[in-house]
Amino acid sequence: MVPFFLIVLLSFLDNLLLFPFFSSYFDLLQLKLTRVIIREDPRQVSVYIADYIISRIKAFNPTPEQPFVLGVPTGSSPELIYKILVQRHRAGEISFKNVVTFNMDEYVGLPRDHPESYHSFMYKHFFSHVDIPPQNINILNGMATDLSAECASFEARIARYGGIELFLGGVGPDGHIAFNEPGSSLTSRTRVKTLAYDTILANSRFFGGDTDKVPRMAMTVGIQTIMDSREVVIVATGAHKAFAVQKGLEDGINHMWTLSALQLHQHPLVVCDRDATLELKVKTVRYFESIEQAGTDARTQGPALVYRPRTYVPAPLTVKTPTSQQPTPDGTPEKTLKDLRINTELHRRAMEEDELTPDSMSSRLVDSAIGGIDGALKSDLIFDRMGTRITTL
Amino acid sequence: MPGKTSTPRITKFTNCRLVCGLDLVEQDLWIDSLTGKILKDQEAFYGSHLTPDEIIDLGGRIIAPGMIDVQLNGAHGFDFSVPCETKEEYDKGLRMVNRGLARTGVTSYLPTLVSSTPEVYWKVLPSLGPTAGTHTPEDGAESLGAHAEGPFISPGRNGIHKPDVLRAAESFDDIIYCYGAENMGDDSPIKMITAAPEVGNMMSHIPEISKRNIIYSIGHSDSTYEQAVTATHQGARMITHMFNAMRPFYHRNPGIFGLLGQSERRRPFYGVIADGIHLHPTSIKIAYNAHPDGLILVTDAMRLCGLPDGVYDWTNGERIVKTGARLTLEGSDKIAGSSATLIECVNNFRRWSGASTAAAINAVTAAPARLLGLEGVKGSLVSGADADLVILGENEDPFSGPTLTVDQVWKLGAKIHDANKAATVMA
Repeated sequence: MVPFFLIVLLSFLDNLLLFPFFSSYFDLLQLKLTRVIIREDPRQVSVYIADYIISRIKAFNPTPEQPFVLGVPTGSSPELIYKILVQRHRAGEISFKNVVTFNMDEYVGLPRDHPESYHSFMYKHFFSHVDIPPQNINILNGMATDLSAECASFEARIARYGGIELFLGGVGPDGHIAFNEPGSSLTSRTRVKTLAYDTILANSRFFGGDTDKVPRMAMTVGIQTIMDSREVVIVATGAHKAFAVQKGLEDGINHMWTLSALQLHQHPLVVCDRDATLELKVKTVRYFESIEQAGTDARTQGPALVYRPRTYVPAPLTVKTPTSQQPTPDGTPEKTLKDLRINTELHRRAMEEDELTPDSMSSRLVDSAIGGIDGALKSDLIFDRMGTRITTL
Repeated sequence: MPGKTSTPRITKFTNCRLVCGLDLVEQDLWIDSLTGKILKDQEAFYGSHLTPDEIIDLGGRIIAPGMIDVQLNGAHGFDFSVPCETKEEYDKGLRMVNRGLARTGVTSYLPTLVSSTPEVYWKVLPSLGPTAGTHTPEDGAESLGAHAEGPFISPGRNGIHKPDVLRAAESFDDIIYCYGAENMGDDSPIKMITAAPEVGNMMSHIPEISKRNIIYSIGHSDSTYEQAVTATHQGARMITHMFNAMRPFYHRNPGIFGLLGQSERRRPFYGVIADGIHLHPTSIKIAYNAHPDGLILVTDAMRLCGLPDGVYDWTNGERIVKTGARLTLEGSDKIAGSSATLIECVNNFRRWSGASTAAAINAVTAAPARLLGLEGVKGSLVSGADADLVILGENEDPFSGPTLTVDQVWKLGAKIHDANKAATVMA
């Protein structure tokens, strides 16, 4: 995480100059900036993203022990992406057997089998057509009796899988990602959110045009949850998204346009159709187009899919064992000794946002951004006693 | 369950079109062979983590609920109205019919008895009751209860029912005596009675019949429009083979057919024999346009269904001439039932009426299920319904145009017939 006072210095284009300060020197060799891909229409955008996801999963070569962890959204833009993924799956091009999914959000108080629940959406458009095992699927339970425990458990499940490899998301006309409505904390994690009036209005079309039937609350992953994933792919199609794209890409980081938080992410990829770029400066559009034309295909620029030591972060807070929520998936790693791993990623300070004290230097040095030289530095920079890092299971 | 171990438990049909209301929708269907039901797939997936053991790609074919025939007198040389020496022998014949019927896509039906002497009813009715609960997929088609067509019918509208055995019920005891007291109790094997409301005191007995959970159907009747209306007020819910064996429509006295002209109250269901012999296509169209939701296609098929052409003995010492699908009483032109299959009737009906494929299929699935009070159990693809299915292919027949064919039949979640496999066995 970037210290707060530095944020002002960072704009998304020159972050490659500042990042080396507190990340690895090797990063200089690898260009890091917001990748923006522009396609003519939503169809081509979806094909691009589906191709991208498939190539990432294939390159990762997931196994039951090392599944590919994918964050997935719902909504009209992703619908087409799922359709293409299903076609590719039917054609035998891709298997989702070793893919674990985490859905970004779910309405509170809507039963799982309600036709408008995100469980239903995912089942209808994706899960029922591919070979993903149901135990690999994680969707927040909007009917949980203890919602905060459900949210905490969701974060813990993500952590248990070693974090999310690729987070696919859409963006709202007001720039929201997941249900992180304007004004959401940029360090937020999975929690209950009250829906903005705009969102209720927009979603009422799925509830017979009756705003009273739209749930008032939703559970959603936080901005920080998304930021912690190793790669974020955002789909933005249609003229109504143009303003959000402009605010997110060209303006500063602002909690009123939560998309803009991605300016601080190491590997964001935004795929827009022509309409969604309407509000961007011609200069900006040309710049991104020239990057693509220069042959720097985004598909080759994702984060290196190397084996990362899986970190077991114990469930934050003292989570009571959730009673009436989704059972912990069978596919979660068994609690055996092989999970007793050293916690090398100290930046994952789940649920510590309320602590405003600046980071100690030591925690910054062992930052995830060190990536490739983790191993080299690890031996030199151990400050904690070994015992404190071994997770109690 | 022994012998079931090889059957995959959860089957998912994909790349198929489901009959859903008046449309065919592209959707997957999950069935569970353990419970024999259509699965609430999304809940099974998320809640129980169930995934299909077998995925069947149907290549765009149609999945329809198993067909229901509410008027079927027999097949394969077996006649429900002819008792055998022993009950065992009769039950054996019944099982043969059940298995044969299932291959035609009829997965449940009302075994129908033509007018007979009381002794016949006493003997055969106990074998014909509903078999839900004990039925296994291998048994084939399932009886939903017997349909007693007669003997309380009009002597002038008897069709080929033997006049000697016809009766008139003065008191309700006459009806109880005829069918047998044990067959008219709470757990009656009878599901439907066709009777003429104007014969004897039948009109006043209709509520008594309905009270026993038996459907009263107007048929083989000379009743006027007014009498027919009174019968529906009394509780009649069905008309047996509309147009056949009833007073014809006349503009100053529309007869039973006139019931379809009502709009102020619930109109009865009506059976239609769309075999191309019993009715002119236009007559079917008129009825269908007047009351599309009530139309139920029936075969009225009898035991000669599936046998070669020739002269065959019939009940009560008479003989029947079979020429193709046409059956006539020897020495007359009277039509003696049909030997068409239900899917042929669906095809005829679809061609003649211009009804959508789904609407034509509803006439042998959803509509009879509604009549029988089996909505959500039979004749439907909703989750929780019995997994009785027919997989329908669509061929272009050079003479008659698009034709639905029964490619596969599934009963209670297990495949019991596959036309492709049957063909290869024969070759």
